[in-house]
Amino acid sequence: LSRALALGVTSALVLAACGGQQQSAAPQGTPQGTGAEPTEVSGPQKGGTIYLLTQNDNWTDVDPQRIYTGEDLAFFGATIMRSLVTYQYSEDEAEGNTLVPDLATDTGQVSEDGLTWTFTLRDGLMWEDGSELKCEDVAYGISRAYATDIMGGGPTYQIQYLDVPFNDDGTSQYPGPYTASADEQALFDEAVSCDGKTITFKMNKPNGLFNYALTLGMSPVPNPVDHEGVDIGQDYGISNESKPLSNGPYRVEDYTPGVGGSMTLVRNENWSEAQDDVRKAYPNSWVVQFGLDPALVDTRLLDPSGDDVFALKREDVQPENLPTVFSDPLTPTADFTGRGAASFSPYTLYYWIDVNLIPNVDHRRAISVAMNREAIRTAVGGDYVGDFATGAIKPNLGIDYADTGLYTGLYGKPIPPEGDPAFAEELIAQSGEPMPELLWNFGDTAVGNLHFAALQEGLARAGITVKPGALPTGDYYKIVFDPDNEQRGQFGNTGWGPDFPNATTVIAPLYTDVGGWNLSQVHDDAFEAAIQDANATLDREAQATQWQALDKEAVEKAWIIPTFFEYSQNLSGGQVGPIYRWPAYGSWPYGVMYVTE
Amino acid sequence: MVGRSIREIVWARLRRDKVAMLCLGILIFYAVLAVIGPNVLSAFGWDAYALNQDDVDPKKGGLPLLPLGGISAEHPLGVESGTGRDIMAQLVNGLRLSLIIATSATLLTVTIGVIVGLVAGYFGGLIDTIAGRLMDLVLAFPFLLLILALSNPLTQRLTDLGVPGGNESRVLYLILAFSLFGWAGLGRLVRGQVISIREREFVEAAVAMGAGRRRILFGEILPNLWAPILVYATLTLPAYIAFEAAISFLGVSVQAPDVTFGGMLANSVRFFNVVPTYLFIPGTFLVVLVVAFNLLGDALRDALDPKSAH
Repeated sequence: LSRALALGVTSALVLAACGGQQQSAAPQGTPQGTGAEPTEVSGPQKGGTIYLLTQNDNWTDVDPQRIYTGEDLAFFGATIMRSLVTYQYSEDEAEGNTLVPDLATDTGQVSEDGLTWTFTLRDGLMWEDGSELKCEDVAYGISRAYATDIMGGGPTYQIQYLDVPFNDDGTSQYPGPYTASADEQALFDEAVSCDGKTITFKMNKPNGLFNYALTLGMSPVPNPVDHEGVDIGQDYGISNESKPLSNGPYRVEDYTPGVGGSMTLVRNENWSEAQDDVRKAYPNSWVVQFGLDPALVDTRLLDPSGDDVFALKREDVQPENLPTVFSDPLTPTADFTGRGAASFSPYTLYYWIDVNLIPNVDHRRAISVAMNREAIRTAVGGDYVGDFATGAIKPNLGIDYADTGLYTGLYGKPIPPEGDPAFAEELIAQSGEPMPELLWNFGDTAVGNLHFAALQEGLARAGITVKPGALPTGDYYKIVFDPDNEQRGQFGNTGWGPDFPNATTVIAPLYTDVGGWNLSQVHDDAFEAAIQDANATLDREAQATQWQALDKEAVEKAWIIPTFFEYSQNLSGGQVGPIYRWPAYGSWPYGVMYVTE
Repeated sequence: MVGRSIREIVWARLRRDKVAMLCLGILIFYAVLAVIGPNVLSAFGWDAYALNQDDVDPKKGGLPLLPLGGISAEHPLGVESGTGRDIMAQLVNGLRLSLIIATSATLLTVTIGVIVGLVAGYFGGLIDTIAGRLMDLVLAFPFLLLILALSNPLTQRLTDLGVPGGNESRVLYLILAFSLFGWAGLGRLVRGQVISIREREFVEAAVAMGAGRRRILFGEILPNLWAPILVYATLTLPAYIAFEAAISFLGVSVQAPDVTFGGMLANSVRFFNVVPTYLFIPGTFLVVLVVAFNLLGDALRDALDPKSAH
């Protein structure tokens, strides 16, 4: 969920956009940060150690059902947690978002009516202890997410999609494997059944996306019949005593959470290349170092010595160092070619506006029109931050994206980058009511304060008063999700990234109560019906048109104020390759990385 | 030979101290800046809040266009990275805020400390015991942690009580927090002095002549305490300035668009490698202010009591 807090640009803005993926050709061109691409001829060699440096004190989660940050899904998926299907490793936006078989022999067979998906496991799959990885382990892993009281915080697409009956309050009748009675377990076993190596999923509605959802929180976990005592519920994977059992090319040798802690992954002898078409497993080991000051990591990697030449920074480059590493938002400077990688991140940054607190659409539009978005972008990091966003759906989501026309006349007039205070005043006059005094919530960081200063000055030009509602970064979402909290303003800063390449993972969470990101408190029956309608559309292109229309409608009604389609810029020590951002997760392509001498 | 009052003697001693005179000059300069600076600067077009986007480069992540943090005739101390706000104007505004907080907190600290010390020292007995334990308690609190932790709830409480929300509440919170945690040291000092003074002949004479308690406390004893109180205050003020900078560096002080020294420093450390002047200018400004106050405080102590060793 959450992204690095202490960082400059987005820090504290995107506190918890969910890890996600993107798809297909970005109009801005593919990211260019490539250096040493592995070639068939010389080929990267096996051996060495790659270091991953992070400011986090520990992994948010090491439980296959709870990992939800893009970068973590990418790292663990590449090393110890395989799924039925995964994304291809490629720098190309379209290829990098293409599903390929992983534990399964294909990317799934869907029945004509879209109600049944079947997968067949490959032969010879094993856990790190040498025991067989069975179909039942896949089913067990998927069932764990139903125990939302024990396993909370992870993705739960299985609950949404599988044909397990719901209670009246919308919760599933199946409470997860830990507390289920035999009858309740039967409900799940009815929806997910194993026959030898074949696993069958029954959907509650026609579903053309289920195989994409399988990449989120549906990795297998050793089932308790064959592996008694391995899964210990919410404590699975949290420390050295409960390391997750690996089915990938590496296994956890040591995990010490905390500042100065580390995780060491070494080769898993019970994995073989013959059963894995995706991962290359070049390095002999991976070492993750926790709790490092991000500015210090930059200093270490800008001029690396010792093992730092084999290191990758997990978080974005600090804003103040961006001009040193990148000559423009997507291109490394000459000195850092082959070391710096940049691309669109999965996240769209935007302001939520509580539609109950500012019920007048002209008032909401006036804010959007009056703000000086050019000044705001310069204040939070300049052109490196991203492009001006026109909606919640980002260009790298592929066919679901279309310019909503926000800046080219959606509200009646074009809006220049510096805003149009006169037009904003017209809108306020047209609303027939005086503009209320505003309170804007933001994470209380140095960058957050600059962001506010730039916002305030822009709005002041149109006579709109806005007061600072700085919140401690750790409490930000706790406060803004609580409508009764006195510190909550009428609008504030946030961001969101899709979970898989379909805009249902953007539109539904942002504007309905389904996905848990409805900060604007939108409750619009017609809109929700349109979402249901689009979800049921199996023709992908027709569906994309529906998402585009909904994205446009939301901006037209000013339920959000889009700010930036965010970029991310990252840095390595130099003797690691390949250097690009994997479009699937906006991450390093961990599964194909290698060290060079 | 003309007799001289103590005040004249102290002033004469101070005047001979070149360092003290220099510090006094610096402090008067700072005080004038704080009082009239913001108005004068904005009259001449230096606005602490105006964004100057032409002076920062969005292609370079918002760094100032000109070298040395954008120092130019237009912006003599450069501009803030990202927004292009004028650093000189920000410094002067920040100085005013810092001095308002530190001076008010010092006055309140001295008032509380003197009253509690006087009462405890003069009455003794149970009152002294209670006051003494109270002072121990206050001195034992982890001051910094409490100020950081209580900032949000108590600022909110002040707003609920009718103080305008935002920076008014935050400034008032800081003043109250500094004073409520800071008075105990002076309280003890005063109490000790009072205990020795109350046995002196002139106090006994006053008592014998039937003077009331108030007359004895404030008319006889207090005038003999102004020297240590003055010294204490001149040393407390710079400590509060530095402390306010420290906690605003940690993010608990005034909010955007206002800044104090600590806020400027917190923002500037990010740019230390690329725009070092942005850190050094407010840093130097702050150090000079605090050092000047401290040196003056020392000099004042020497002048009031030349025999004391330090």
